Amino acid sequence: MTTRRLDRPTCEETFRRLDDYLDRRLSPEETRLIEEHLHLCDACSREFVFEASVIEAVREKLRRVAAPPDLIARISAQIQGERADG
Amino acid sequence: MLESPQSATVRPSASTPGRPDPALETLLAGVAESAYGVALCLADGEATAVEYLLRAVAGACRDGTGLAADTDVRLWFLGILTREHLVAERRGPEQADSGDLDDTPDLLLYARSAAVGWPTAGEHPAAELLECLGTERVVTALRRLPADYRVLCTLYFMADLSYEEIARVMEYPAGTVRGRLRRARKMLQKSLWRIAEAEGMTHAPGGAP
Repeated sequence: MTTRRLDRPTCEETFRRLDDYLDRRLSPEETRLIEEHLHLCDACSREFVFEASVIEAVREKLRRVAAPPDLIARISAQIQGERADG
Repeated sequence: MLESPQSATVRPSASTPGRPDPALETLLAGVAESAYGVALCLADGEATAVEYLLRAVAGACRDGTGLAADTDVRLWFLGILTREHLVAERRGPEQADSGDLDDTPDLLLYARSAAVGWPTAGEHPAAELLECLGTERVVTALRRLPADYRVLCTLYFMADLSYEEIARVMEYPAGTVRGRLRRARKMLQKSLWRIAEAEGMTHAPGGAP
């Protein structure tokens, strides 16, 4: 991807970097410039906080998935079966 | 019963070629729980999730005898699991109906939440809506994505993998994950909102109708 070097990012340029910012894939300098913009721009700041919140909330919900209590035993049995067939 | 693993890397194998390395049991026990979570998001229910997982274990037994000592067992096993899923998906008669998910605009959940009175500001603005949706509906929203995007989103949200790790698991060229994940996240937002609508949750508690 070719993007011009950030100097003072506009709202559009900031938004284009939303995912990279949330996934911490920007350079320290780019991160600083985006955060500067977010500090000054309430609209962008709300969008970024909301998107980060969606990611965190989805992950938090998925962390509640519990494996069946007999899962390890079933895996063990599967491996024994593969050994027997081996 | 399997024991907890001491390490996530594979030691040199002394097992008979074609037979599972005894250490594999220990290694798979260490990744089983998180792999189940992934399988559950990919499958259509708990029974199918266990079925995928056991098929992946069988695959791991076949492939696991020649693993390099520095193999990341979790990524390796997730690769087998997701391939099992995608193969089953292609064979199966039913495909998820993605409808117009691909046309999802940016910030859909933000815009829709704002329109009906769910919080869009504060420290964790989306938490209340997601809390009302709950784990089961979030899993359902993931399952409704087209197969490749479902896998991508599941590896990102459920398994917490980095772009590079996702690329390794899905055997994507480096650099492909970013764009696909961007699209997948937007699809997931529409999928979540559709469920919220279907469940009559588009009126925020105390919010505007």
